[in-house]
Amino acid sequence: MRMKMLLWAGLLAFSVSLAAAQSAHDENVLVVQGARILPITASPIAQGVLVIKGGKIVAVGETGKVQIPAGAKIQDATGKVIMPGIVDSHSHIGIDGNPTVSDSQDANEGSGPVQPGLRALDAIDPADPNIRMATSGGITTANIMPGSGNVMGGQTAYVKLRGSTMEQMLIPGTLGGMKMANGTNPKGYGTRGQAPMTRMEEAALARGIFQKAQQYKDKWDAYAKAVAAKDKNAKEPDHDLGLDAVVQVLDGKRIVHNHTHRADDVMTVLRLADEFHYRVVVHHGTEACEVADELAKRHIGVSFTMIDSPGGKPETINFSISCPARLEKAGVKVAFNTDDPITNSRLLLRSAALGVRGGMSEEAALKGLTIYPAEMLDLESRVGSLEVGKDADFIVLSGAPLSTYTHVIETWIEGEKVFDRNNPADLRYATGGFEVVGRYPQPTGGAQ
Amino acid sequence: MSLRSPWFALLVTVAFPFSLGGQNVALVAEHLYTMDAGPQGGPGMVLIRDGKIEEVRQGAKVQPPAGFQVIHGAYVTPGLVDADTTAGVAGAYNIPADRDQDEATDPNTADVNVRDSLNPEDRLYEYVNTYGVTTMQVTPGPVNPIAGRAGIFKTAGPQSPFHTVDPLIVRLNSGMVFNLGESPKQTYGTNHKAPVTRMKTAEMIRDALLQARGYQDKWDKWKQEGSDPSKQPTIEPKSAALAEVVSGKTPAIFNAYRADDIDTAIRIGTEFHLKYMLASVTEGYLIRDKIKQAQVPCLVGAVMQPVESMETANATYENAALLQQVGIPVAIMTGYVAYVPKSRVLLFEAAVAAANGLGMEGALRAITISPAKILGIDDRVGSLSKGKDADVVVFDGDPFEYTSHVEQVMVQGAVTYRRP
Repeated sequence: MRMKMLLWAGLLAFSVSLAAAQSAHDENVLVVQGARILPITASPIAQGVLVIKGGKIVAVGETGKVQIPAGAKIQDATGKVIMPGIVDSHSHIGIDGNPTVSDSQDANEGSGPVQPGLRALDAIDPADPNIRMATSGGITTANIMPGSGNVMGGQTAYVKLRGSTMEQMLIPGTLGGMKMANGTNPKGYGTRGQAPMTRMEEAALARGIFQKAQQYKDKWDAYAKAVAAKDKNAKEPDHDLGLDAVVQVLDGKRIVHNHTHRADDVMTVLRLADEFHYRVVVHHGTEACEVADELAKRHIGVSFTMIDSPGGKPETINFSISCPARLEKAGVKVAFNTDDPITNSRLLLRSAALGVRGGMSEEAALKGLTIYPAEMLDLESRVGSLEVGKDADFIVLSGAPLSTYTHVIETWIEGEKVFDRNNPADLRYATGGFEVVGRYPQPTGGAQ
Repeated sequence: MSLRSPWFALLVTVAFPFSLGGQNVALVAEHLYTMDAGPQGGPGMVLIRDGKIEEVRQGAKVQPPAGFQVIHGAYVTPGLVDADTTAGVAGAYNIPADRDQDEATDPNTADVNVRDSLNPEDRLYEYVNTYGVTTMQVTPGPVNPIAGRAGIFKTAGPQSPFHTVDPLIVRLNSGMVFNLGESPKQTYGTNHKAPVTRMKTAEMIRDALLQARGYQDKWDKWKQEGSDPSKQPTIEPKSAALAEVVSGKTPAIFNAYRADDIDTAIRIGTEFHLKYMLASVTEGYLIRDKIKQAQVPCLVGAVMQPVESMETANATYENAALLQQVGIPVAIMTGYVAYVPKSRVLLFEAAVAAANGLGMEGALRAITISPAKILGIDDRVGSLSKGKDADVVVFDGDPFEYTSHVEQVMVQGAVTYRRP
């Protein structure tokens, strides 16, 4: 127990130091007014005002009904649309870097299929251009994950897309999730004559690690009890980095983010979660709509990857843009993810738009970019909507969020502008060509 | 089975439940985009008879003639033309059983022809039709420096109840594909086979073209000297295929990404006086003046693709617009995709271009009349003009809005897709 307490104390200190690092927030008041505001958890405001102080939203409402503090810096956004910063519940930016050369690829630790001790945060490069590209697409919060090559791929990182160190990126107080995968990808080991070669082995490996973690937890609980009873013979169990993280899953402190495509693989995910009582989000979920009722009755959400066409591998052959609509109708919450680099972070708004093309309601599609993914990361009290007290993460759009012709004009994280389309250097992250800004032909369409 | 057999008729009905069976159709559009020289986007009507466009009438007060089935549409455009794709040869499952785009056993496979790999039953082949593509140039994949011959095919049509390739052919040998840059050297070089470097790739192409020229000279000489069967030169299939390129009969398609590779393509094209075009052209915008000077049309590659290599790191959404801006003929292509998703959607790629400088009409041009002209098939497709194939797409809104739908696709007057 002592060790465990030390561990928690350490974690707390870490969080506090992070909070200190963040305290440089502008204490001045910023007012953005005139735009159509989509708070997401409340009705749209035709002509709205957003008031920001200390990186938080202090007021949001209709023009004329919100008091503008004296001395506030005022930014006019008439004719624009403002919505919360987009939350990407499944990304590999920073860990599968740009350009794609082996040196920048750190998502898949292919040395063994069960890797709970790995932390994505130890491999994320805050300088990866993909991160800036993501902000140009309006993403402010991301769940950066290890890849899908392993049954248990490691601990994910919940980050804001700002700063030059992981400490500045990590959201204070968060542990991150646990990446898992089943189906085709972990079977990659099979081609080298190693386990897993089959889906049943994948499930057995997953079950095995949870059983071990349960036993490990029981040992530590018994030790804690013995220490509490002042048992002098109490012997501290050995520590295991990986099992510590899996225990956090069993304790409900860490959500499992499970890569899965085929309906039977989705059911395997549910079977394991039922057996070990952990919290899980289904990721990709290509055939999740086939078992929508099973997801709905367990209140399990789907973080869906909207791709352009079926295939690329057999388990995605039944891809359909109508899947999110079918899930919505069954009462399943759907978030849209990038799975960057599979889809580009500049185009996540587009994924939601395609959801609407497939029959989804616009309301659910917008929630799928904001509050639903926030919930899937346990971050709904901080991000995912424009509400008083939440982080001032928002984006300014040139028009309707789901229109092809709309551009992200500005991206703000906790009251700081991290992307500005009117800044030529930023613009090249939105269009591409950021490495060749000096040679980029002029003039171009630019900001709109 | 005879074509007159009642069984055949039944089969046609089953395979094409939407087929209009030779009916005459009047397509009445709120926004008609003919993509010919006339006005665009206004109300109008397209009259279709026997799979061909009989007449186009502009205006809101058009009266469908008697005997024509009337179909109403919000936006009506020509069937889309994908200038360069591997759909049909690079199968949807992406497993050895359906991967037929790259004959990676020899850097020079000039003698292969996509027609012999093409599987119109592949899911992606049908899929692209549901997003409005009615004609496409199918090419070999990106691996071989000399990859083989492309062909232009319809994606569906009234003549293809059995889904075999031949009724879909618009033109065979529409191009010879040459691949520059990373893909060839990563395929062969990593096994210590040529090409290991870009300079070797260029040398191999130049050498093969030189040999083809010599081969042609030999045959020409033989013919001039009386075509004596005993003195006939030995047939070399690769050189024979490339001789058509050297003579300008088959256009060369140089697939290149980096600016210096594009430059290499122009160098080779100029040296051998080829009729050629550039494909992918990722960094084309960086040397657009050079491309303009060489008067080479560009098939602009998909920009929503993941950055899979160094050579595509500078991809920009504005590439098509920047090339078009200086007067280079531009078509948008989907090309080859290595992994998930296995095919890009031409309509969506054009949408990104539309929103990034090319504009709605410019983007539509880049997937209709412009590729038709570049590929030399504008006598049949690419615009809604009298006498052309009745290849038409009906949308319920702006074609490029992500939330719009393709309502209906027609190939040669037959409905090949209708929104369920």
